Amino acid sequence: MSVSLLGGLFLGWSLGANDAANAFGTAVSSRMIRFYTAAVLGAVFVVLGSLLEGRAGIETLTGLTAFSLKKAVISSVAAALTVTLMTALGLPISTSQGVVGAILGIGLVTHRLDASGLEKVVVCWLATPVGGALMAMFLYHLLGVLYNRMNLSLFQSDRLLKLSLIVSGAYGAYALGANNVANVSAVFVGAGSLTVFSATLLGGLSIALGILTFSRPVMETVGGRLVRVDPFSALIVVLAMGVTVHVFTWIGVPVSTSHATVGGVLGIGIVRGVQTVNRRMLANIVIGWGLTPVLACAFSILIYVASNLYYIPE
Amino acid sequence: MLSFFFKKEHRVESLIFEYLETVERTQDNFLKAFGACIDNPMCENFEFFLERTHKFESKADDIREEIKALMYSKALIPDARGDIMGLLESVDAVPRLFERILYIILTQRLKIPDFLIPDIKTLVQLSLECCDLMQRQAYALFKKNESIRDLVHIIDTHESHCDRIERRIITKLFDSDVDPFLKLQLKELTVQIGEISDEADRVSKRINIINMKRRV
Repeated sequence: MSVSLLGGLFLGWSLGANDAANAFGTAVSSRMIRFYTAAVLGAVFVVLGSLLEGRAGIETLTGLTAFSLKKAVISSVAAALTVTLMTALGLPISTSQGVVGAILGIGLVTHRLDASGLEKVVVCWLATPVGGALMAMFLYHLLGVLYNRMNLSLFQSDRLLKLSLIVSGAYGAYALGANNVANVSAVFVGAGSLTVFSATLLGGLSIALGILTFSRPVMETVGGRLVRVDPFSALIVVLAMGVTVHVFTWIGVPVSTSHATVGGVLGIGIVRGVQTVNRRMLANIVIGWGLTPVLACAFSILIYVASNLYYIPE
Repeated sequence: MLSFFFKKEHRVESLIFEYLETVERTQDNFLKAFGACIDNPMCENFEFFLERTHKFESKADDIREEIKALMYSKALIPDARGDIMGLLESVDAVPRLFERILYIILTQRLKIPDFLIPDIKTLVQLSLECCDLMQRQAYALFKKNESIRDLVHIIDTHESHCDRIERRIITKLFDSDVDPFLKLQLKELTVQIGEISDEADRVSKRINIINMKRRV
């Protein structure tokens, strides 16, 4: 069983390596906080989030289809392959879409698909960037008024923004753990090889391991590339991402932190009347959005079919 | 408790105040040297205060370098780093001008003719007032103890006044029967003194932009 879990742990590791940049990327790439401080904080809060609030997402994904251990491994590997391919193509990744696409693929090929929860999941995918944008617009206005009223000196403002970015990064990591742990280990709960508690613990730890071991390049490059806004707006983007993803955690649907972040950046652009995301990036998001579940679905069908081929001697 | 987390930022903050105090001391010594020059050119006092002006200008440079090194070792958020470095670079033009003006007087053995002294004195006094206001504005940016925008308008008015005095001095000079070679030397001196208020005005506008950038 422990070997079978490796597929899920690999997915968790790659998720941690990629998505931690959405919480701490801005702070690390701009050298406001050291990578190791960000990584340790991120790892701790991801595990806390998954342990305290990861259950709801796991229950939603488990409800989509009941898997054997073999199918659980196939769906994890298919999702991990999709994430890796999309990363190589430079398209924004949604691990949640990859996992759900893979689960659907297995469900389709085995004719055991329970589509009753699917509608909720797809609506939440659409709502994630929109929610991120709306939340960013709301927070920008609300916190902007408070910030202006404080009339801070340059140094006071610097300290406040730095502290707030660390706190909101930790909150973003908490939301990431709470929401995305289902992507990593829900299929194993469905297969009966893990309890919900051990799934949240193992899933959280694998995401944390990804953050601690391999998130540095993504934090230092992707974080800076994704968000090219002033420090206050960067804080709002991280905070809006955390709140949006956290709301979807309560609903029980795993969503993409990248999509919530891009939504937040767009929201800031709307409020300030400036272009924060270029057309090419928007096109990439739409392509990635459509391709991820389709590819994951195709990969899981292919792997499933391949694993069921038998050599019959003449 | 927060001081522990922001040790580097506190060090940068105290160095910036030390830098501003050093610029102030450069200005004090410049004023004393200039006063000595008008009373008795090439006297011992003039050289003494020129030496002190040079000493404080060099000290200001050293402090600026220390701030630069500290900031690029990850103190402050990048936006603030760029703003502070740009601000210090532009403030630094002012003590450099003080030193340059005194060296013009020393190396060219300049003696200001009596008919220009009242106007030159007014120009120096107004230019140094601009510098005082510029310092107050810098303190306001770092301490938020007074309105930055109000100070911008005062400096701007003073700077325009300085330009008028500068033109008046040059006109008077070229209307006079002073030796043509000396005319050119005195014109250069007047232009350099006029530059003080121009630099203070540039710094003042930069401070205002830095302050406005911080409003959401």
